[in-house]
Amino acid sequence: MTPAGVATVARQELRLRVRRGRWRILVAVWFLVLLGLLALLRLALGSLGPLVAGQRGGIMYGGLQLMVLGLATLVVPALAAQSVNGDRERGVLATVQVTGLTAGDIAFGKFFAAWGAALLFVAATLPLVVWCVAEGGVDALAVFVVTLVMAALLGTVCALALALSALLARTTTSAVMSYLAVFTLTIGTLILFGLATAAAPQIEQTETFDDGEAFTFTEPDTSKTWVLLAPNPFVVLADAAPYRGDDVEFGLDPLGNIGRAVRFVRSPDAEPGFDENGERVGGDANPPPVWPTGLAVNLALAAGALAVTVRRLRTPTYRLAPGQRVA
Amino acid sequence: MTLRPGDAGIAATGVRRSFAGVDAVRGMDVHAAPGEVTGLVGPNGAGKTTLLLVLATLLVPDGGSVRVAGHDPVTEPRAVRARMGWSPDVFGLYEGVTAREYLEFYAAAYGLDAARRRRRAAALLDQARLGEFADRPVGVLSRGQKQRLGLVRALVHEPAVLLLDEPASGLDPRSRVELRELLRELARAGTTVLVSSHVLSDLEELADRVVFVDAGRTVGDHRVAALPRGTAWRPWRIRSLDPAALLAVLDQAGVDHGEPGSGGVDVVLAGDEEAVDLLAMLVAARVPVAAFQPVGGSLEAAFLSLTDQAP
Repeated sequence: MTPAGVATVARQELRLRVRRGRWRILVAVWFLVLLGLLALLRLALGSLGPLVAGQRGGIMYGGLQLMVLGLATLVVPALAAQSVNGDRERGVLATVQVTGLTAGDIAFGKFFAAWGAALLFVAATLPLVVWCVAEGGVDALAVFVVTLVMAALLGTVCALALALSALLARTTTSAVMSYLAVFTLTIGTLILFGLATAAAPQIEQTETFDDGEAFTFTEPDTSKTWVLLAPNPFVVLADAAPYRGDDVEFGLDPLGNIGRAVRFVRSPDAEPGFDENGERVGGDANPPPVWPTGLAVNLALAAGALAVTVRRLRTPTYRLAPGQRVA
Repeated sequence: MTLRPGDAGIAATGVRRSFAGVDAVRGMDVHAAPGEVTGLVGPNGAGKTTLLLVLATLLVPDGGSVRVAGHDPVTEPRAVRARMGWSPDVFGLYEGVTAREYLEFYAAAYGLDAARRRRRAAALLDQARLGEFADRPVGVLSRGQKQRLGLVRALVHEPAVLLLDEPASGLDPRSRVELRELLRELARAGTTVLVSSHVLSDLEELADRVVFVDAGRTVGDHRVAALPRGTAWRPWRIRSLDPAALLAVLDQAGVDHGEPGSGGVDVVLAGDEEAVDLLAMLVAARVPVAAFQPVGGSLEAAFLSLTDQAP
């Protein structure tokens, strides 16, 4: 595998995509949908008035990023899900495989092309980010970290879709399976976590109020099952944003809320109690994060998917490529 | 002719390959020398494409020894690819790019530098008579133009060995003549050319040597110039105004014949003399014969006499 080889494949893929012309319409629709959603969020926040003064932009930014990730799970699988088997169907893959390009060149060239297209969609939301910043209260570090993590998560989706397109013969099957894979990450992790938590042993929690009155209750022990929730892209993205603590002041920031919630899932003891005057009692001001684990799982999935793709593109093969004529 | 490992050209000996228990190739010997056009001829399903996939570094054979341009396609695919051009029987083109971009992409894929890419693309577009379509999208080309573009794609890195799977199918007569001239020219320059076809007449004027394959085996290897003519088994087509009477006489005389079609009945006869005798017999039996003619060229005749299709 050489940089020149990867670049040759990526350039060709992007050129074919750009020529098809549909992407302009797609990006335009994508931008308008997000603009509409963000405008609605701004209207909703406007009705809250002074309650969110000074942090409106931060809340809008968090909401925007969750919407971008949500919509990206609908758009991004399509960018790579027919990349390899589509070329096989069109009868162009084998002619590329007999050139000087290696399996790695082809796999990574296709990956970078799909990933680059996905990042183009993220870049198209830049004007909306500017709007959030203009509203005030956006943390520059949060924008930096969230953007990087977003790129990594979309790369994972591209790699998974690409591997499925290399494994499955039919383009429709690989497209459906790609959406199913993303669905497993977003909804499947939630379901798994819920089921595993329901089966987990109950632990006894005691909260002591200032007047000495103790209140005891039981809840499922999530200190082990949290790992099932960690790979969820929304969890990774939200928790990766700088931790704002559990101060109620930030109670409307969507990224902070999700991050806080999943950290309490990992460390049930970190959640503070409140006394009758509303003062916090106990808890951990800085519980261990969930996102490094989740991001590591995602990156491992991406690496595995790319390895599978390279293997499936390697020639000469003993197995015949699906759909290839024999004689 | 014998080729030793390390020599240019193609040397495939005892190649075997089966798919899920079905033997596609069961012992093929195919040799092709530089400076010659070698035809690979056999009916559909004879294993031609499988053999070409092995030669083209795409498929691992079950057994046998293979050398393409002096290298083993299984253990040294990169060395083979640098010296070998392959055009499959069914291929697609990137429809969105222009003809020039299409060729320049493959030139880059073969590692040619930018200046040489442009030169090769321009030269090949001329060769394929596509100069005026150089900057039009590939999608607007006609079927024959696409076929020519796909063919010259295999030449982009000036390979020493050229493998063409059914290149003549879908070409109009003019393009066929041009294909013939192109391959002759490449052979004159020292290229090893292996061309597969199930249409024998396509190869008759094209190939220097012909390797016949059937049911996964090599059944013959001949210089075209040395093929027997006139005396070999060859099919003849007889058309009669009274087909029933014709069939009755053929059956009575014990001549094997095919199913009667709209063009007449096909019989396989050993040479011209047997044809003269049969015609005389039919006339004597008052069968109204309207046409009595040989079908196909001498390659077809040779092929029939080599396989069990001849009686």
